[in-house]
Amino acid sequence: METLKKIVAKTLAVKEGEIELASSPKNLSSWDSFNSFMIISEIESNFNVKLSSSDIMTIETVKDIVETLRRLNVEEKFLVI
Amino acid sequence: MAEKNANKEAESVRLGFLSNFTIEPLSSIMKKTCEDVGIFAEVYMAPYGQYAQEIIDNSSKLYGFSPNLIFLLLDGEKLFGDVYSNPYTQKVQTRRKIFADRLNELKELLNILESKTSAKIVINEILLPIYSSFGILENKQKDGARELVNKFNYELRKFFLASNRLFVFDLNSFCMKIGYQQLVDKRVDYLADMKISIPALKELSKEYLEYVIPVASKTKKCIVLDLDNTLWGGIVGEVGIDGIRLGPEREGKPFLDFQKKLAELFNRGIILAINSKNNTEDAMNVIKNHRHMVLKENNFACMKINWQDKVSNMREIAEELNIGLDSMVFIDDDQSNGELIKEFLPEVTVIDLPRDPVDYVTCLEGLKFFSKLVSTKEDFERGKMYIDQRKREQLKLANTDLDSFLAKLKIQLEIGDASKTDVSRISQLTQKTNQFNLTTKRYQEEDIEKFVSSKDFKVKFLRVKDNFGDYGMTGVVIVKKLKDSDEWEIDSFLLSCRILGKKIEYTLMQKILENAKEEKIRKINATFIPTPKNPPAKDFLEAAGFNLIREDNSTKYYCRDV
Repeated sequence: METLKKIVAKTLAVKEGEIELASSPKNLSSWDSFNSFMIISEIESNFNVKLSSSDIMTIETVKDIVETLRRLNVEEKFLVI
Repeated sequence: MAEKNANKEAESVRLGFLSNFTIEPLSSIMKKTCEDVGIFAEVYMAPYGQYAQEIIDNSSKLYGFSPNLIFLLLDGEKLFGDVYSNPYTQKVQTRRKIFADRLNELKELLNILESKTSAKIVINEILLPIYSSFGILENKQKDGARELVNKFNYELRKFFLASNRLFVFDLNSFCMKIGYQQLVDKRVDYLADMKISIPALKELSKEYLEYVIPVASKTKKCIVLDLDNTLWGGIVGEVGIDGIRLGPEREGKPFLDFQKKLAELFNRGIILAINSKNNTEDAMNVIKNHRHMVLKENNFACMKINWQDKVSNMREIAEELNIGLDSMVFIDDDQSNGELIKEFLPEVTVIDLPRDPVDYVTCLEGLKFFSKLVSTKEDFERGKMYIDQRKREQLKLANTDLDSFLAKLKIQLEIGDASKTDVSRISQLTQKTNQFNLTTKRYQEEDIEKFVSSKDFKVKFLRVKDNFGDYGMTGVVIVKKLKDSDEWEIDSFLLSCRILGKKIEYTLMQKILENAKEEKIRKINATFIPTPKNPPAKDFLEAAGFNLIREDNSTKYYCRDV
């Protein structure tokens, strides 16, 4: 299993150091609405969880993803940003 | 256009995507999938939903991008509307009319697309609706939704049969393979109009490789196989011919089926070879005498069964068959052998067999390296031709004087002007011939067709036969006539590696010279463009009486008087 930070960085093709809790499509140029879906797909297969459509719609920042995954009982050690 | 790209590395492709729903993630997915097999892909995605505009508009970005391959993905619900998703709210006449209208519109668009580009075009067939309000009675409805979609797909395939540039992708078989639940994700469908889920797009990109690989000229020619625990279960040196697992029952059947699949590939023109650490007698005893052995001596163009390391064996196989390591696939159950090949011969594609033999067939079926966009007569006979070659080599060993050996072969050449029916084979030869190739210009069928029908070009083919068999069409010469002059320029001159070493190239050049004389040509120009693979052709022009005029960036320019 990989960490959330690693997954987000890999999907957006940026360095892990560039990912912060506040990262979002607004401040990361390689993050557009389509790779939001890519990130979600990667997260789902990595953590074996399924997000609802309302989860997906409320996600804007990395922090939102962390909170959603916390609710889905993903272990904290994978959610360190 | 092709000429411009001719000398660029063949591994890069330009892919255009058109659709009536959101497929943007496919862009990065497709690039990654191509990269994994060593192909560099550039991708153009038409703007959302604008497939028709892009096709009709002469100055669209799609045409500006000049793709080699265009994929068209259409969703049934978006194409047909309610008659697809809620068909029985509509009268049967309306259903029929809408399906017929859409079919005609689509055919028209495809005609336009085909006429405006030289790309190969792939269209996904329409997914069959999985739900019907009639339930079990759906298949009793006259022109029901499923039946109409079936007919639509059938008509589409029929329409595509007429062209060798149009291909229908069998989306319904794909759906059967991965499952509808995997294909569709309602969340991304409602949120972003993505009718195919991201995991399914990843799988789809692998299927699309079957089109990309031949366009990028990366089709593989040869499968090199291990024996113990690959073609049969168990180690023959330990358990003997009666102890190995191979046959129609239980644990022998996965191996039998695996061999049958390989035999099918052999019949399609894939060369088979063996690279095994074994006692030759033990292994040959199984190959010759085991009653359930599907693959016989005659299926293998080369057999390296010895205690030498597999890397050296692999090199020898490539040398003996006269094919590049990059056109070989290596299959072995022992991963350490695979790792060794990967390490020392990275050009070879290594397949790690699954641990469980029941999965061997699925693994083989999943390989996308052998697909061709056209199949020629030579493809079907290739496997056999390499076996003939092995027999010739045996004769060669028994007869060391080359000239008398060649005389014994009774080589017959047929050299002629290419016609339309030769186009696909000629294009294939330009794509695949690496060693004896003066300029290594790669041409698509469309290019060859232009040359054949143009007055400014001459396209000559060469067919070769000898005592042992028919090699088929194995040589091509393309001559460009320089306007208002009495000079010719040899654009391409190539011979398949199967007929090298027989001095045939000189006879072919002689014929070109005679032909030039007849047409009152005074001078012939020729070029040698070196590549890592064509040293066998390096000294040919000089040996054939041409004079070097200049050298520029390692390209050599020659000419000779007629």
